[in-house]
Order: sequence, then C-alpha cells, then structure tokens
Amino acid sequence: MRGEMSHQEPLLRVEHLCQYFNTGDTVTKAVDDVSFDIRQGEVFGLVGESGCGKTTLGRSIVRLCPITSGNVYLKGVRIAAGVQSYRDAIARAKSEYAIQSGRPGADRAALRSRLDAFVREQERQIRLARQDQKPCGGKLAAQIQMIFQDPVDSLEPKMTVGEILSEGLFLQGERDKKAVHRKVCGMLELVGLEREHIARYPHELSGGQRQRVGVARSLILEPELLIADEPVSALDVSVQAQVIQLLQEMREKSGLTILFIAHDLSVVKYFCDRIGVMYGGRLVELAEAGELFARPLHPYTRSLLSAVPLPDPVYEKSRRQIPYRPPAKQGAAADAQAWREARPGHFVRCSGAE
Amino acid sequence: MDINYKELGLTEEELFSRVDHNELESEKITAPRYSYWKSVFRVFFRSKVNIVILGLLLFTVLFAYIYPNVTHYDPYANLMNGAAKHLSPSKAMAYFGKSIHWILGAGASGEPTFDAIWNGSQISISLAFICGAINMTVGVLVGAVWGFSKKVDAFMMEVYNIVGNVPTILIISVMAMLFSPSFWTMVFALTVVGWIGIAYFIRTQVIIIRDREYNLASKCLGTSTFKIALRNILPFMTSIIVTLLATEIPSYISYEVFLAYIGLGMSEMSLGRLIYQAEGAMVTPGWELEFWSPVAIASIIAVVLYVAGQNLGDASDPRTHM
Repeated sequence: MRGEMSHQEPLLRVEHLCQYFNTGDTVTKAVDDVSFDIRQGEVFGLVGESGCGKTTLGRSIVRLCPITSGNVYLKGVRIAAGVQSYRDAIARAKSEYAIQSGRPGADRAALRSRLDAFVREQERQIRLARQDQKPCGGKLAAQIQMIFQDPVDSLEPKMTVGEILSEGLFLQGERDKKAVHRKVCGMLELVGLEREHIARYPHELSGGQRQRVGVARSLILEPELLIADEPVSALDVSVQAQVIQLLQEMREKSGLTILFIAHDLSVVKYFCDRIGVMYGGRLVELAEAGELFARPLHPYTRSLLSAVPLPDPVYEKSRRQIPYRPPAKQGAAADAQAWREARPGHFVRCSGAE
Repeated sequence: MDINYKELGLTEEELFSRVDHNELESEKITAPRYSYWKSVFRVFFRSKVNIVILGLLLFTVLFAYIYPNVTHYDPYANLMNGAAKHLSPSKAMAYFGKSIHWILGAGASGEPTFDAIWNGSQISISLAFICGAINMTVGVLVGAVWGFSKKVDAFMMEVYNIVGNVPTILIISVMAMLFSPSFWTMVFALTVVGWIGIAYFIRTQVIIIRDREYNLASKCLGTSTFKIALRNILPFMTSIIVTLLATEIPSYISYEVFLAYIGLGMSEMSLGRLIYQAEGAMVTPGWELEFWSPVAIASIIAVVLYVAGQNLGDASDPRTHM
C-alpha cells in the first residue's frame, strides 16, 4: 500500500527551503537548504534539539514568515517561494562578467548580451515567485492548518470557544450561522468537549481542554495537511496521550496528513511513519521510523537516540549517552556535506569523515 | 454526629451505590459564566468612593450642560452698567434682588459669577471631550498601524522624534497667533500634535501583543492583519485606553485653563478665561469669589474625571476581576 503511494504526487514538497533572519549585522540561518516530501496520508515527524529550526520550518510552510529562498509545493501548486537565490545568481553572474570582461581579448559584447539574458530570466523568476507569494488567504488556510505549542498562549483570551472555532469557518465564506453552530458542536464532540463549552473563555478550561480546542480550531476547516508544532510538549503525560489519540483517530477517519514537530522521541517513534532529524537548521537524516531507530547513520541522530530514557532500570544503568561533536565550523567543509541516499528511502547528510 | 439513615428512607444499597464515572461529566466547568463588562462594573461599583465620585461627575456634567441653557445665560447683559461690576454676594443681592444667580457675586462684565462658572464649565468640558475623542481615535488608529507595519514604523519614528521634541506650548502659541482664537482653533491646536504621543504609546503596546501565538493562529486561519488589529488587539487594550483617557481628558481642562491664564486662550468665556479676567481684577474689592469659584470648579472637574477614569481603568483590567 505504501509502495503505491510513494509513486503518487507528494502532498507537500519542500525544495531547498531557506529561512534567514537579519539580526543586526549578521544573518541567522534558522532553516538552511531543507528539502523533503510528505506523502498523502502519512505522519511525518520532525525532531531535533531546541532552536534547530523545527518550528520556523513549520511556520515557513504555512507562510507565517516569507521565506528567503526555495520553493514549497502543495499538490504540485507552488504556495511559497523565496527570491534570494535568484538575486544571488544575478550578483554571481555580474561579478563573473566583471572578471571575464576584464581579461584581455574578451568578447565583451557577447558576454554582455549573455549576462543580460541571464538577468532577465532571473528577474522573470523573481516576478513569478512574488506572484505565487501573494496572499491567497483563505484558500491556503483551508488546506494547511497548524496546531501551536502553547495552549495557553495560542487561544485569544477575549474570545469564547465558540468564536474561536467559528472564526475560520466565517473566513471561509460560510454565512449560515446555524450550519456553523452545528459544525462547531460536532467538532467539540469529536475532541471530547461539551456543547456547554461554546460560551466559555479559554481561561476557564484546563490545559488539555485548551489544547483540544486548538486542535478543533485547525481541524474544523478540514485541512489536508496539519502542521502540529510540538502539540503535546506543554501538556502533562496523561493529557499528551489524549491529544495524540485524538490526532490518530482523525488520521484514521479522514486520512489526514500530519507534519508532526516534536522533541520527544518516544512519542515520535510510535506516531510517525517517517522521521526527519534536524540539526542547526539543516535536515541531517531522513528515514522510515523503524529504520531510523534501528540503524541511525548520522552521528547526531545516534547521539539523540542514545539520550532517550527507557522505563527499565537495568537498561538505564548501562545506558551511555553518546555526545555529538559537530565538525569544526568551516564554511567550505560544511558545504561539502552531501545529501545522499544511504539505503533506499534512508537519506543522510554528512561529510566524508563522519 | 449521628445520622439515622433509616429516617432518610434509603436502603443500604441506595446509600452506598456506585457512582458511574462519566467522561463527559468530568469535562464540565462548575464556575459561573464570565462576562467581561459585567465584571468591569461589578468591580467598579464595589467601592463606595467610586459611586460618590461618579455621582459627583454626573451632577457636574449635567448641571454644566442644562443650567446655562435653561437660564439663557448672557454674559454681556449688564456690560454697560458700571455699578454691576465686581460685586460681593451680599452687595449683588442687594442690588439685583435675592436669586440663585447672585450667590457668588458679580464678575468683571457685571455677569453673575454662579452662571458664568457653569457656562465656563460647559465650554471647558466640551473642549476636553472633543479633544479627547479626536486624539484618542486618531492616536489609537495610527498607533495600531504604526505597531504593525515595519515600514510605517521606520517613518513614524522619525516624525515622532521631530514633532515630539518641539515643545507643545510653542506650537499652540503659533496657532493662537495665526488664527483667531476661537473654540475650534483651540481644538485644532490641542489635537494637531496631541495624538502623536498616544499613537506612540499604543504602538509600543501593539508590538508587545502582535506576535503572541494566538495572533499567529488567527493569521493561519487566514484572517487579514487589519481584522486581527481590530478584533484581537484593540479589545485587549481596553483597560490601557480607558486609563489613558482618564489622564488625557482632565489634562485638556488643565491645559486650557493654563493657556487662558497666560493669555493664549480662546475668546469664549471658558473657565480659563474667567480666571484670567478675575486675575486682572485682583486689586478691586470683591474679586475673591470671582477668582476662586472658577478655580475650584476646574479643579473639581479635573480631579473627579481623573479619579473616575483611573478607577474605571483599574476595573476594566481583567486581572482585578477575581
């Protein structure tokens, strides 16, 4: 079954996505050249330490921040595009032209026309990217939705649960108040809350109830892709199970595709089909869940997996955490790290030494 | 404590039957429903001081608007009558006969001081409310846009740095020189730069709230930035805005009095103009009430407005609703 799926067009395709932030004089590379596909109906896990760019990647995909370069396709339609790579290409071509035309005996006219043609093409690409980047607002919102990490902070404190849930529907152009009310009630029931909660404010709910409201808010639009940004990390263990179970049910019921961002490996292991490991803004390893846990290739993945505790005192006594020492940060060496397929479906990015 | 269970008419089984655990039941909230504005007024009226202050405020404002209109007050009725000027209450009543108009004596144009202060209050309160409304509306709207857009921010910061550093008194002096000093000139002078301070304050608050996760979530649903500003961010600032209003409105009254006192006031007989006129008559016998009554009423209005506004600002902060 899964074999058939992989031949289909992937639901989401991310190509060389970069998200840089200007922080004063330096540029922070929050997400750097990340590419992956998410297939229809699968749960794609994204793990990595705090600050490695998982959340930023999720937010870039729903276009909360305009991306620096790269492309994001949803079912083959480009939904986000960055222009920096084209700008860089123009700058490179211009400096190359300056060097070459300076050489004795260079055919300046030919070089010049070639440069002009190249710049025109790149500018056309920039225009296209800008066009795709234009807000298509509600259309995208109905297809990709996001669950946020902190259930306290992600619900507007001055809106009732009913208002929070119906906001998306009204924005989708639904005008029939009764239909909206029916949908909201149905959704509340689905996430295990009561009708009575419609008129309640978020601060009256418990943490688990709030997160379920957050889940309901995303699911009520019936999105095809759900980006769950650490949906359980702010909850205690019993409530974590509730939320995960809810997502699992939704997935079985409506074939929901989920990008599951987490740092808790034990949750990811049982919930995800494929897992991507991020480190320092880059995707360092990507494999099926079982394969990744059985045969981690990248040293960082090994270190990460060795840090997972098990409820087994005998094992815990002998567990040794493998420390990860990233190779010295030399610009050239870092670029030399290649993205290669070590086994079928198992990708890893590392330098020869690793 | 002995309870005879038999008397309750229940059998052993009924008394100790198992209560079923109901999942939905456990999700119920026992606390009563919460309504924002109801809680605001509940907290506000909990304090006796607030009730007294609000009563005083209502009385002053209503009296200032109704009394001069009922009595058809004309400040220049006795202008040509030299004997009617600067009279103490007893002399005025002896001259004009006993009536409520003369209980505070007569002023510089022979007008009854009691009527004059209420007419002046009406003008001053109108000025304060109109200036407050204009400055708050413009300030809050501009501040919201200013806080949201980085491009606007860069531009507005420069404007603020330049305009904010010119002393307001200078701008108002120039206005008063350029235009005839009427009521609307005064409104213009007080609002032409008055909004920028409020806008800056609001901008800072917007920047604090703007990137909260629930606003990102709303953006995810496809809400436009404008709608987020209007529906999510402005309501959040109710308490801040009310508190700001509480300081702004009385400040316009004080400002008008001050400007009139230094001779930059408007031509209408506002409280400031009354004080200015009485100050010029300080050597004449009978000036005391003519001077002190507008000072007293201006102070009372300013203080009452300020206290009521501050306490309403406190009450509109949801953290006080416990």
